[in-house]
Amino acid sequence: MQPIILKEVLRLKKEKKEFSIITDINNAANYIYSPQHPLPTILEPYAPAIKTAAVKRTNGMIAETSLFIDNYHLPIKVFIVGAVHIAQYFCDFARHLNFETIIIDPRGYFTSKQRFPETKVINKWPNEAFLELPLHANDALIALTHDPKIDDPALSHALTQQCFYIGALGSKKSHTSRCQRLQALGFTDAALSSIHGPIGIKLGGRAAPEIALSIIAQLVTEVYKR
Amino acid sequence: MNQNAFDEKILEEAWTWLEAKQSVVLATVIETWGSSPRPVGSRMIINQNGDFSGSVSGGCVESAVISECIELLNNQQTHKKLEFKVSNESAWEVGLACGGEIAVYLEKIH
Repeated sequence: MQPIILKEVLRLKKEKKEFSIITDINNAANYIYSPQHPLPTILEPYAPAIKTAAVKRTNGMIAETSLFIDNYHLPIKVFIVGAVHIAQYFCDFARHLNFETIIIDPRGYFTSKQRFPETKVINKWPNEAFLELPLHANDALIALTHDPKIDDPALSHALTQQCFYIGALGSKKSHTSRCQRLQALGFTDAALSSIHGPIGIKLGGRAAPEIALSIIAQLVTEVYKR
Repeated sequence: MNQNAFDEKILEEAWTWLEAKQSVVLATVIETWGSSPRPVGSRMIINQNGDFSGSVSGGCVESAVISECIELLNNQQTHKKLEFKVSNESAWEVGLACGGEIAVYLEKIH
């Protein structure tokens, strides 16, 4: 691989673009393929197969060619409501597991840069934050504040957007009252049952990093269920 | 889409190594058959000293990949394809105990 191609790959990754690297294993030639990087003439005959692999995000050899394709797509976004202690450990785990984390918390003391040096933090109420950065079905949302004033609007928004993973911290009892409040807002039982509450898989631990681990373990499980 | 984008930042590390004036070979799992430890697209980088980062198996074939990479750095070739099959327990050969097979592609970054 030529350093100039590697440099372009790193630029695209840094700018959060989706792209593919195609390598001809017979001569070690590399090509970048993306909406901004059309296929060179030499690869035109294989365009349909290359496009299919890129769309389906299938890494591997293109059948009956000497071309290998490796697809880069963006990480799943996890919106964390509550810049709490658990969130700090969650962001650490998320970095290794390649999730992008975004923290929302209207409370200024919690959202200091010192607490979250590498995470995007939005110091606003959830409804304002989602205007700045909209939530989609392909995103996950976890509510960690325990405070209905902050958690409930965020959960309502996530339910409306049908996020693939929605979790809320709190005991069974507080989850039951949470569901009653959301039901009063018009959410169905089916929608409410999509909330993971109490959040996380059963690990047994109650320390902040242990709870963070149990939440991210559940999130990974849900990613592979999709 | 049924999985997250897995990215172990190997290419970023390769760039750091290049900037430190090291010779770097990029190794990529390009094909797998049967039960293989790492999926297609898994990457590893190796320098002239045999330092490496990332992985192409669960530790089963890395040492063989490293020696092939050092050999590649010392000759005129730009690339090489390696194939590893099920290991034979009676021999001291490198192989995959899991019973799978993998093809690893080596390319110099230069």
